[in-house]
Amino acid sequence: MTARINFYAASADAIKALSALEVAVSKLGLEPSLLELVKLRASQINGCAYCVDLHTTDARKAGESERRLHGVSVWRETPFFSDRERAALAWTESLTQLSLTHAPDADYALLAAQFNDKEMVDLTLAISTINSWNRFAVGFRKMPAAL
Amino acid sequence: MQKRIDYHQASPEAMSALIALELAVQRSGLDPRMLQLLKLRASQINGCAFCIDMESAEARRGGESFRRLSAVALWRDSVLFSAPERATLAWTEALTQLGAAGPRERAYDAMTHHFNAKQIADWTLAITSINCWNRMGVGFRKTLL
Repeated sequence: MTARINFYAASADAIKALSALEVAVSKLGLEPSLLELVKLRASQINGCAYCVDLHTTDARKAGESERRLHGVSVWRETPFFSDRERAALAWTESLTQLSLTHAPDADYALLAAQFNDKEMVDLTLAISTINSWNRFAVGFRKMPAAL
Repeated sequence: MQKRIDYHQASPEAMSALIALELAVQRSGLDPRMLQLLKLRASQINGCAFCIDMESAEARRGGESFRRLSAVALWRDSVLFSAPERATLAWTEALTQLGAAGPRERAYDAMTHHFNAKQIADWTLAITSINCWNRMGVGFRKTLL
């Protein structure tokens, strides 16, 4: 696996714009613990090793349990997540694999049962934002620090 | 098709953040015609009818030909696109379908033949931005004007 460009150095303006989006998402009022689960699940699907390492570490620092974090990739089969978290994880999977799922009515209905209109849009932006970071980190092969 | 919410009305805060990202893409100095092709291709892959309708109309207003727009979905088999356009379209496909295939080495290598590091990062931001809009457009079934 060959090294690629350092995107922070290559286009400071681009990363500044994406960081501004991230800051905006964090201020929209969604629960931080929910956002970490969403970020982790999207990063798993997109195969972003750097992002998985970062968000599992961040979630642990914020008090998330190891058992729940291990359960995120198989959340449908675990009793660890609330109905609101399950709706958010289902929507995350739908939107992350958009070209395959087309954001089906069943997942939208789950979402609408747990989130108000504003929260649905805010969550969609959060999912879009982690998908953006995943594209940078996977696209340019950003690696987690060695153990 | 079930009607869904109007995202601009539901969360102006979220949408102003996304508009700011789009404006940053537009200011980054990328070729506007290639940018339209990229947006169209990502929207085709993600199945965003609203986005395709809007981006193809914008491309036509920007002087793009109908024949080239009609060929974007099958650009690999077309002679109508330049080498830098082909590199950008391949990178768009690799990043838009990230989970499916992962960005192929060849797609990245082709980008490095035609663009400098800043331009590659800026094209990548453009691809992520249209992917955000596609998620809004499809996620909330935005209807055509």
